Amino acid sequence: MKKIVEITHMSKRFGSTVALDDVDLEAYEGEIRGLIGENGSGKSTVTSIYAGMQKADAGTMLFEGKEWHPSSMNDALKKGVGMIVQENGTVPGISVAENIYLGEIDSYKKGPFVDLGRLNRDAQKALDDIGAGHINAAQITGMLDFQDRKLIEIAKVMVNDPKVLVVDETTTALSQKGREIIYSIMNKMRDDGKTVIFISHDLDEIMSVCDRLTVLRDGKIIRTFDKEEFEENAIKTSMIGRELQGNYYRDDYEEPAEKETVLKAEHLNLGNQLVDFSFELKKGEILGVGGLSHCGMHTLGKVLFGAMMPQSGTFTVHGKPVTSIHDAMKKQIGYVAKDRDTESLSLDASIKDNIAIAGLDKFSIKNFLILPSKENAYVKKQADALSIKCAGINQYVSALSGGNKQKVAFGKWLGRESEILILDCPTRGVDIGVKQAMYQLMYKMRNEGKSILLISEEMAELIGMSDRILIMKDGELKKELVRSRDLSEADVIQYMI
Amino acid sequence: MKKQHIKDMIFRIAPIVGLLILFALFMVFAVIKDINIPYSMKNILNQSVIVIVVATGAIFIYTLGSFDISLGANMCVSALIGAMAYNRTGSVLVMLGACVLCAVLISLVCSVLASVFHLPVFVTTIAMLSLLNAGVLMLIGANGTGDIVQVPADAVSAINTVEFKLLVLCLYLAVCIFVFNFLKLGREEKFVGGNPECARLTGLNNSRLAILAFIMAGIGVGLGSFLTITYAPTLSRNTASSVGMDVIISIVFGGMPVSGGARSKIYSAVVGALSMTLLSQIMLMLNLNSGISQMVKAIIFILVVYISMSDNKKNNLPR
Amino acid sequence: MKSLKKFLVLLLSVFMVLGLAGCSGKGEESGSKGIDNMKNVKIGVLVADATGAEALAFRSYYENYIQKQYNVTFMYSDELADAAAESSAIDNFIANNCKAIISFASADRPAQIRKCAENKVYYAVATGTLSDDEYAEFKDNEYYVGAIGPDLYTEFQAGYNMAKYYLDQGKTKFAIFGGATPYYVDMHIYRTAGMLVAMCEAGNGDYNGAKDFGSMIGTIYGMNCQLTPAQIGSVELVSYVGGYDFDDAWFGKLAEAANNPNVEVLLAVGSGLDTFAAFKRPDQALGTVDSYTADAVKAMEAGTLNYLAGKFSASIGPIFMATVSAVQGKPIRTANGEALALSQGYWVATSAEEANNYFTVDSSTTDPAYTKAMLDKLYGASYDDFAKFVGAYSYEEIQNLKK
Repeated sequence: MKKIVEITHMSKRFGSTVALDDVDLEAYEGEIRGLIGENGSGKSTVTSIYAGMQKADAGTMLFEGKEWHPSSMNDALKKGVGMIVQENGTVPGISVAENIYLGEIDSYKKGPFVDLGRLNRDAQKALDDIGAGHINAAQITGMLDFQDRKLIEIAKVMVNDPKVLVVDETTTALSQKGREIIYSIMNKMRDDGKTVIFISHDLDEIMSVCDRLTVLRDGKIIRTFDKEEFEENAIKTSMIGRELQGNYYRDDYEEPAEKETVLKAEHLNLGNQLVDFSFELKKGEILGVGGLSHCGMHTLGKVLFGAMMPQSGTFTVHGKPVTSIHDAMKKQIGYVAKDRDTESLSLDASIKDNIAIAGLDKFSIKNFLILPSKENAYVKKQADALSIKCAGINQYVSALSGGNKQKVAFGKWLGRESEILILDCPTRGVDIGVKQAMYQLMYKMRNEGKSILLISEEMAELIGMSDRILIMKDGELKKELVRSRDLSEADVIQYMI
Repeated sequence: MKKQHIKDMIFRIAPIVGLLILFALFMVFAVIKDINIPYSMKNILNQSVIVIVVATGAIFIYTLGSFDISLGANMCVSALIGAMAYNRTGSVLVMLGACVLCAVLISLVCSVLASVFHLPVFVTTIAMLSLLNAGVLMLIGANGTGDIVQVPADAVSAINTVEFKLLVLCLYLAVCIFVFNFLKLGREEKFVGGNPECARLTGLNNSRLAILAFIMAGIGVGLGSFLTITYAPTLSRNTASSVGMDVIISIVFGGMPVSGGARSKIYSAVVGALSMTLLSQIMLMLNLNSGISQMVKAIIFILVVYISMSDNKKNNLPR
Repeated sequence: MKSLKKFLVLLLSVFMVLGLAGCSGKGEESGSKGIDNMKNVKIGVLVADATGAEALAFRSYYENYIQKQYNVTFMYSDELADAAAESSAIDNFIANNCKAIISFASADRPAQIRKCAENKVYYAVATGTLSDDEYAEFKDNEYYVGAIGPDLYTEFQAGYNMAKYYLDQGKTKFAIFGGATPYYVDMHIYRTAGMLVAMCEAGNGDYNGAKDFGSMIGTIYGMNCQLTPAQIGSVELVSYVGGYDFDDAWFGKLAEAANNPNVEVLLAVGSGLDTFAAFKRPDQALGTVDSYTADAVKAMEAGTLNYLAGKFSASIGPIFMATVSAVQGKPIRTANGEALALSQGYWVATSAEEANNYFTVDSSTTDPAYTKAMLDKLYGASYDDFAKFVGAYSYEEIQNLKK
């Protein structure tokens, strides 16, 4: 096999943070190479440098044996290295076709005008080619959901027919269908003798998709596993640098001790997101809600927190209706939103600001006056309880890793001693160590008699943590599954699709 | 981590350092150019105080990430109402009350309208600007004394002293600092500015907070219009016409982030307005014509915004 | 590194601008006798208009002629919009040790004078005059130097003469642009009144019951300074536009007034070239009170403008000499020790040739209407000599004085 990508002695610092420390990495033609590691391990940094997004401080890079110095992501793409990034990389205000051919519009010029017909035809073909023909190339990008916008980015990269494709954490945000599209592109590239570098948090996924797997930790390469060496515990151990203590998910299969209903929803309707939806949440229970990305489960979370009003139907907490977010908070409901950076946290504010804001009424005097000592004590208690890794509670949240950000989002609601927690994809983009801590925390809260509504796109998580699982499809409740040792992902999936 | 901490510190104190440098420059030029320094100091306070008061109140609006384009017009209307109230009653206290009440009322209308129609507040302030400008002409016309409204000069000369103005400023500043840093309201304002959607999903009522912010700003505008009358008791349709812009520039000069949020500080208004006045005084001593001093201000303005932006960029480390 | 570079670029540009400004400064030493031996005197100048043609011409005379001839430094204020801005500007001048202030701004003159007097700074009105009440209040104040310029009756006369010029030619249909009349600006109200009185006399009629100087002013105030068209005996005021709105509706009104087929003559109390000139038909006549600029001369040559009454920029020379004399302890006061209140009228041009002559003198920075040699005679002069000099203000009289 021929070496395509070769990186030697690469180093990169951000201020005092060492992101990459003397990294050597190579990838061959005809392989899908996985990169795995906790948040901040440097896996995105090394690939983003190779794809032209930023520059290294030291080290050399080769592409097909020649020196490789891409000046930008676009330059790298034109020369054969494409990358699909973790964040949203499309421009919302322009059409899908314009996004796909962004930077190449000049080649569609007819005099002073753009030949929109040809542009849209070419773009539609590009979408069809990757199996995303359901997207209309002439549509405005901002009207599409996250998954379709991700597919547009993929189409944009693929029209350039790259020899090396980097896929960075893209699949976590996608539904099964979106994932399948990406998997088939990756497989086709490997079969055509090209190279894919695949970055993911999801150990199961990365093990099933990749041919070889490289583990990074703290900016260093720890080990590369060949397919036949893939073994979950060994990989986890090298990722976190120690043996995992205890169990990943909970290991009991007992029913919750209490039967009291704390939250009851009856005949909720809201567009096609909620259709005659009824359920009950019991005290001391983890109730999982699963489904495909657009089944309405994320909307359900918002409705139950009072952030969206249903068109009809009622929901009550201890028999009393919830009228607004403020009211929901008074009734001891907490909500961790799916979109952490835009909905759960204010990034430009400190850890203290973020945690304190939800609990102002808890520690202020007469719900009015704030004493710094009381505030600090309140915040410190949460930060310590969650063992948030930070320089101090005055550190800006933007400087934290994904896992620690999520801990701050949890901290907002733990401090309020919320009785009901609505958690929408609480472990999305969180590394294994933190994930495990979160699961332990959820389990502990359950046993303390708190109720958790766990909305998740990860089936393993639903099966591993929930007492019951509600499966949603097109806004309807399709199936209720009860916790059991025999429950498999296949059992769950059949009701989703 | 430590380096970042130091950097944060530097950006935090940069506006104050800037103010000190300007002050040093001012003193150097004052000595070289043989300036009446005591009078000059008094003058600088006199010229800054109104902008500081109005800008301090406006910080509450800017913290939300919003802005109010009608501040100057509001001040003009409030000052006119205040002056007319004095002319009816002959009481300075009534004048003060009328100024503050009118300004708060106007602010309230702006923010309540925005809340009722679910508009961004700055949209209603644009509409309010036109309304207020028309109101100014009506008030002046209704007053029937030509193109001005006047309060007898000796009626306010007793309180047209630097000491009185400083007293008003300090009281208001103290209240604002207290509200901003020690009350729930201040925390909530800052949080809304940082991320309005997250604030909503944490149970904060964004329109209620906007209304309260506008009330705080309204009080500042009212006090500012009162001080304007004491400083120059002849009011015309041009009264306070430059205050709106001065407030914006001062707040930015003082190191307030343009987008509001957690890094907002009350003292930005004080530092910024004093810096601006010092800068103007330095230009004046050099006898530069106003075109050139505007250019210098514009360049420094871009410089300040650039520095504060680059600070933010560096905080978002790619991972 | 990159951000440091950008920072340096911006910083450099600040210094460049400052440097450029520094180069334009001057440092001349003069030395002969009398006024030429005095120490440098700083004089603050308050301006309400910093960009108009007339304002620029005045400024040019002070900065490009007077400042080069005498050991004085002029500090100009920004464009002052209101009384508070005037007050701040005066504070600035006092802080900078200005010994005197010459004012073109009039938002609150009494406040200006009071503030100057309190701080022992001499104060003079550059153009225009104080009202009678104001003069009575300040005439005995040693720091109030006085005012030289068209008094309100002169303004009235300027409007009267301009309208009469056309009425004498047998014209009977007029449109008037009243400028700042709706804002209660006396100067423009009096000029308008002058025009209307001339029409009343020629048409043997009245305007809303008024026909002479006194009653006309009262009538205009009675109408809240919002005038309307009217038949005045055999003369007709066909249309009237006031204000400086500069919006589409305002331009529309101007166009409508000029386009009215009946209108023969367009009269403007000011800014005629910026208002009526654009809409004027070739068969119409246009008269205005304005300043002598290259554009005005061109308009006269093209026939766009037929009558121009303008202040000459050197007219502010005598008040400068009175101010400097006061600063140097040689005040020029009336026999009773009162401040100056002298009137000075307009130069009137009715042909391109006249306009061109006036403009040539008026715009000269080497040989202006009032030269140093002429002004030197005013330094510490007696009231009578001073008044006589100021009174002989017509172009011809000044040319004679020069000889």
